[in-house]
Amino acid sequence: MASATDTALVSEDTTETEAVAAGAVGLAAVLFALSLASVFELVTITDPVAGVPMVALLGGLLVVLGFAVVTFGVGSRLGYVATDPRPTAGLLASGTFGLIWFVVGGLVASQTLGLGTAGWVVASLVTGGAAFAVSAAPREDIGSTLPAGALAVFAGVVFLTGVIGPSWVWDLGWEQQASFNAEFTIPVLTAFCSLLVGWAAAKAYGGFGARGRHIGAYVLVYLNAISIIALLFLLVAFTVLKGLPGLFKGLALGAGAGPEVTLVGVTFSLPVSWPFVMNGVALLNDVNGVLPAIVGTIWLVVGAVLFAVPLGIGAAVFITEYADRGRFTQVVEIATNGLWSTPSIVFGLFGLAFLVPRLGNRKSLLAGMLTLGFMLLPLVVITSRESMLAVPDEYRDASAALGVTKWQTVRSIVLPAALPGIVTGIILGVGRIAGETAPILLTMSGSVAPPGSQTVDVLGGFQLQSAPPFVTNPELMQATSALPYQLYSLITAGVGESSNISAIDEFRWATALILLVVVLGFYAVGIATRYYFRSKLQHD
Amino acid sequence: MSETRQTTDDAQATTDSELAGGASPGTDQPLEVTSGETRERTREEWVEHEFEGEAKLSVSDLDVYYGDDHALKSVSMEIPENSVTALIGPSGCGKSTFLRCLNRMNDRIKAASIDGSVRLEGEEIYQDGVNLVELRKRVGMVFQSPNPFPKSIADNISYGPRKHGDLDTGLLANLLGRSDDDAVDELVERSLRQAALWDEVNDRLDDNALGLSGGQQQRLCIARALATDPEVLLMDEPASALDPIATSKIEDLVHDLAEEYTVVIVTHNMQQAARISDQTAVFLTGGELVEYGDTDQVFEDPQSQRVEDYISGKFG
Ligand SMILES: Nc1ncnc2c1ncn2[C@@H]1O[C@H](COP(=O)(O)OP(=O)(O)OP(=O)(O)O)[C@@H](O)[C@H]1O
Ligand SMILES: [Mg+2]
Repeated sequence: MASATDTALVSEDTTETEAVAAGAVGLAAVLFALSLASVFELVTITDPVAGVPMVALLGGLLVVLGFAVVTFGVGSRLGYVATDPRPTAGLLASGTFGLIWFVVGGLVASQTLGLGTAGWVVASLVTGGAAFAVSAAPREDIGSTLPAGALAVFAGVVFLTGVIGPSWVWDLGWEQQASFNAEFTIPVLTAFCSLLVGWAAAKAYGGFGARGRHIGAYVLVYLNAISIIALLFLLVAFTVLKGLPGLFKGLALGAGAGPEVTLVGVTFSLPVSWPFVMNGVALLNDVNGVLPAIVGTIWLVVGAVLFAVPLGIGAAVFITEYADRGRFTQVVEIATNGLWSTPSIVFGLFGLAFLVPRLGNRKSLLAGMLTLGFMLLPLVVITSRESMLAVPDEYRDASAALGVTKWQTVRSIVLPAALPGIVTGIILGVGRIAGETAPILLTMSGSVAPPGSQTVDVLGGFQLQSAPPFVTNPELMQATSALPYQLYSLITAGVGESSNISAIDEFRWATALILLVVVLGFYAVGIATRYYFRSKLQHD
Repeated sequence: MSETRQTTDDAQATTDSELAGGASPGTDQPLEVTSGETRERTREEWVEHEFEGEAKLSVSDLDVYYGDDHALKSVSMEIPENSVTALIGPSGCGKSTFLRCLNRMNDRIKAASIDGSVRLEGEEIYQDGVNLVELRKRVGMVFQSPNPFPKSIADNISYGPRKHGDLDTGLLANLLGRSDDDAVDELVERSLRQAALWDEVNDRLDDNALGLSGGQQQRLCIARALATDPEVLLMDEPASALDPIATSKIEDLVHDLAEEYTVVIVTHNMQQAARISDQTAVFLTGGELVEYGDTDQVFEDPQSQRVEDYISGKFG
């Protein structure tokens, strides 16, 4: 990391100091992971890890890291470590450190030392100002390591000495009786400190200067991204783990294990029996299932998409390609944006007041489809319009110059080029409507725990007749269930209402898991479609 | 865009009052004076071009404004049938603008307003009731920057004829046994050969056209315009991104096309203009047509001092 090697294109082999700094970064990452693990109570802070309680481990690591970083900074300032620091750490870093130490000083003064308002204000200003000065005035190597390292050491000592120990509680004394307990506070503080120290160590690893700042920012962004992904993964994993037992209850494989089905006039037994997915709820069932809700959700989404997508694309084509850009398109744009942000319960109420009376005066699958279709419509309009606007005008000019009509241009050039974007919009929209509860509750819901006989059979429901409207489908006019609604009602109705479901908790989680799978299934279809359209537009 | 035409007298007055080159008092914005440009008055007779045969396009008193920017100033010229007309002039002088007026592509630019008359075989194209689709079928265009569709090479070529209904390759046509697949293949090959692209792409006709190099895209766009078989072909610097070999092939193509087609071509390459064109129009800064006549005459013995300076490379 010597200044000499910085100007060279190829840096020399890793030096020992680099290895130390890299070790510190790694340790900070481990510490960050450990603290996240204890935030989510995978390990409680009193659990012994490697012979010491978690809290002591966290505190000890913080102290070690803090000292390492400070030593590195001081070593660099005294010239023992070759680095390439700027004259100052920068206003952003100094301001942040000042603010952090301001808070720390205030908390210690008011909470630990019990000083009054005047006392903690003074203490805050002193610590905050000192941190700002230490960070801003000296060279970057001191300015970015000392405040961070000191904070880590301070936090570590506080945890180790038990000032904030496992039984520590900070009662905020508000009316809501909010309080912070150690189980939450210690890991969060540790995570925060490890981020700061990790950043400082990363800067040190890069030898400060431009390269150091780059690596510091990289480590911060990276840790942040990892933790967000980890959080999402945790959420899904949680649902899957909780849901799996209920989902596979009574699963049986083998010839003839499943129920009989008739396809194209041939009756045969399915080779699987999967009660949760194949059954409804009935007294005589060994294992109850959610088949009506699964089928209801799928048809609901299919219906809403079939209704909203052609209409939405048509409207977008009109306002993008035909209408002159001006007042009118602005108004339409504002209206569609507003409609998309309208809460779903409002759409539900509209469906109840407007659609239900006109569709046989009862809740029905069709009313649900249309209501959700209305909800989906604005998003389809917005995204279709956006992606059509993104199609370069050169294509339209080229097509017009070839003597091709506007409509043919829209159909053969603009729409194909816009399709990937449109599909992305539909994917997002489907994700939202598939999980809607309120509109379904108002427009389509049947019983809380529907029996298998209530499964809608939309395809089989079409009937021809000689008088108008020639085609009818009573299945569409039937009230039915959908997964989110079923989940909602299972939770709110309690066990009593659906007493013929045993192990209700398992049942709920399995329903949630199925909902997740169904929505992800729609995603997969959408993404595959988008991939297909995109691959037609792009060269590889 | 205005459909009305200025009376000749009006236009005359405008031209006469203009001092070409210098900051002229008659115009709303000062003209740029490039060093070396002399002040001189544009004369009517410099833009008169005598030729035998019919005029395919006759432009008279054409003014184009982009907002307040007067981009073309009272341009009049007659473009003879079955010939190559080169448009030359410094960057920003309005060559592309002029070209776009000939198939009314300027209508598509919101800011543009056009005043004047353009007749295609004696028929006014700036009047009410002109079918733009039909006009552009007859007057094809190759743009300054290549703009292939994000489709396969073959689809790019056959796009125009298919949309015109000249070729039918749809599912229905296939089912009815009326598909023109063979005709399409033939058309694709012929157009690509004409544009000197066939040898490079014949093994990947189904690949996306965006994967071609810039020069290949340029030739693809030429092939695409040829495929619709227009009467007039407007080409805006069709060889700007081509190597000498491809350029000479395009020049040969333009030469051959002049047998049956009327070609109007913009180029920045004087030698090219001199080589391939029958007549040359020189536009100079400010959107003025300064000289128009036989290519040989314009290049060897220009009447305007400014044109001579431009051609000999003193400015522009
Ligand atoms: N779409 C447009 N909107 C506004 N002004 C334009 C537009 N197109 C061209 N202009 C203006 O009109 C003038 C002539 O432009 P034009 O594109 O016709 O020049 P050109 O002779 O083709 O130049 P080049 O050789 O660089 O292609 C320029 O001053 C330009 O700024
Ligand atoms: Mg141009």
